[in-house]
Amino acid sequence: MALAEVSGFNPYSEFCRQIFRAGQTHLEDRPSHYSFGTKTQEFAVPLGVEPAGFLKSCNSEGGVSIDLNHGTTTLAFKFKHGVIVAVDSRASAGRYLASNDVNKVIEINPYLLGTMSGSAADCQYWERLLAKECRLYKLRNNQRISVSAASKLLSNMMLGYKGMGLSMGSMICGWDKQGPGLYYVDDNGTRLSGRMFSTGCGNSYAYGVVDSGYKEDMTVEEAYELGRRGIAHATHRDAYSGGVVNMYHMQEDGWIKVCKEDVSELIHHYRKGMF
Amino acid sequence: MALQDLCKLQDIFQGDKTTDRSSVSLGEKTSSNYISGLPFSSSKSLLHFYIPVAEYLDESPIQFGQISLIQSSSLSSESSLLTPSLSPSFPFTSSPSVPPPFPMSHGTTTLAFMFQGGVLAAADTRSSCSGLVACPASQKILPIHSHLVGTTSGTSADCALWKRILARELRLYQLRHGRRLTTRGAAKLLSHMLHPFKGTELCVAATLCGWDGGELDNGCHDCEVTETDHSDKRKTTSQKTDLEIIADASTENVFVPKTQISTKKSFSGPSLFYVCSDGTRLQGTLFSVGSGSPYAYSILDQGVHWGLTVEEATSIAREAVYRATYRDAYSGNCVDIYHITSKGWTRRTREDLKEEYYREKERRRQEGMTRLCQSKDMKQTKMS
Repeated sequence: MALAEVSGFNPYSEFCRQIFRAGQTHLEDRPSHYSFGTKTQEFAVPLGVEPAGFLKSCNSEGGVSIDLNHGTTTLAFKFKHGVIVAVDSRASAGRYLASNDVNKVIEINPYLLGTMSGSAADCQYWERLLAKECRLYKLRNNQRISVSAASKLLSNMMLGYKGMGLSMGSMICGWDKQGPGLYYVDDNGTRLSGRMFSTGCGNSYAYGVVDSGYKEDMTVEEAYELGRRGIAHATHRDAYSGGVVNMYHMQEDGWIKVCKEDVSELIHHYRKGMF
Repeated sequence: MALQDLCKLQDIFQGDKTTDRSSVSLGEKTSSNYISGLPFSSSKSLLHFYIPVAEYLDESPIQFGQISLIQSSSLSSESSLLTPSLSPSFPFTSSPSVPPPFPMSHGTTTLAFMFQGGVLAAADTRSSCSGLVACPASQKILPIHSHLVGTTSGTSADCALWKRILARELRLYQLRHGRRLTTRGAAKLLSHMLHPFKGTELCVAATLCGWDGGELDNGCHDCEVTETDHSDKRKTTSQKTDLEIIADASTENVFVPKTQISTKKSFSGPSLFYVCSDGTRLQGTLFSVGSGSPYAYSILDQGVHWGLTVEEATSIAREAVYRATYRDAYSGNCVDIYHITSKGWTRRTREDLKEEYYREKERRRQEGMTRLCQSKDMKQTKMS
């Protein structure tokens, strides 16, 4: 996909000629859309359709209630030896548990990770798109993209479709020239750099645990334990989180997958001797 | 008020209701404003509530008092409504929902848990009103009687009122029956009192923490406790709800085996109930209520177990409230901790969490410094 674009090879030219008027090779940019560095707009919204207005009519005030549930718990924190990323693995569709074994961490490339919370489809699509952009950057500039730039690309993609119903809360983690990097990006266009974030409806439970156990200069084992505990306690109390803890450790030379442990076993282990 | 009720109980409502309020004698003035509200108990302990007349509530309380001419004609018919034959009028049938004068918010962190040393209850002290800190030093844990304490969450006014009403009812019970009502009974009473208001904007979420039993007017004996003890334990196990069985693993907790007369297999020991105005009533060993409760839950889940000492339990409770205030905007300021034992409740002096914040910051800084020094030393020894 990336190489085809760079080299100008266009297997869809036939298809394009059918959509566009003669002589036009790409969609026109309208002032309301921000073009995030690609030659063509990803999804131009057809004229006359207004997603934001439609969505407003679909919320509770309009009498209809289409609420998306953001059932998950993900957390990530920076410390001396890198970034720890820990996520649960439950996917829910309303009250139905679609799957207990989803991987909510997207391995963008060997030195960048993205977490998913919110709508699974949105997260998967946009983060894959981000992966494409990062690869293009590397090919064009002959150096890795920084975490800051990658998160900015993602946040600009989100801003382009702001108000149109995307739902994504993601943390972009990596290690670049400035050291370990952690950014929180969401569908409103928020982009925050920080030391520790947790997203999803179980995030408050995870915050309590990680806040109390966090030390800047933890050892690697302590950090793994803290990440595990955060997810385990959040899944214990939150109905929409569960499954297994998938944990990654972002080091200077890339990320490693630390563990994939069943949450119920962890909880039994922690709560031995309690009521 | 309670004693008055007790003495003048007979004819509070058979009295002359149709006369004007102003002509009622002094002794009955306090109760004559009330209409019979609830039918759930005997006539002697009716709950009296003034249910506002519908006309007044068409407008927001802020414009209260600006009565138009049309409404004044209906005022004369108001007194006829206060007849004893008025069937218990539940609030939601008498008026549509009133728009609140200002936006209310229910931000708080309260928690309570049981352990070998009794029950510990802790709460923050911030009273918020959707963005404004209305009071940084409010009291969210209200003592109900010497061995029962209730934490409050929801609307402060509602909680304070209902706690007082509960205290009155419990005192009446004690005077009539010669013993204190158990926490379980108090929870049931509160839950039934709140039930008529279900569906209205009343919002009370309380945890009742108490120590039951042990004392009787004719003294208590420490009898042969082996068999009755086991039956007590079995009985308490079956009383617990499904929810609680999932929540806690073991139920073989040993409570203080002070048994009463052998015919009454009543429970004695620490007791914790959660009562909510939507009708929930749960028995448990650990509860946390409020907007800051998720943050507190994870700390409590990590550290609370039966064998804690009192100091350990206090420090866990304080840490849990602190973590909640750290992340939740609607909780903050100070923390109140109450400890309930067989001798009653005791209260720690209120502690400002700002101190805790600075202490933690200092601790982190110290740790950073020591590790830095250690690594420097190591570097020096390596080089030399």
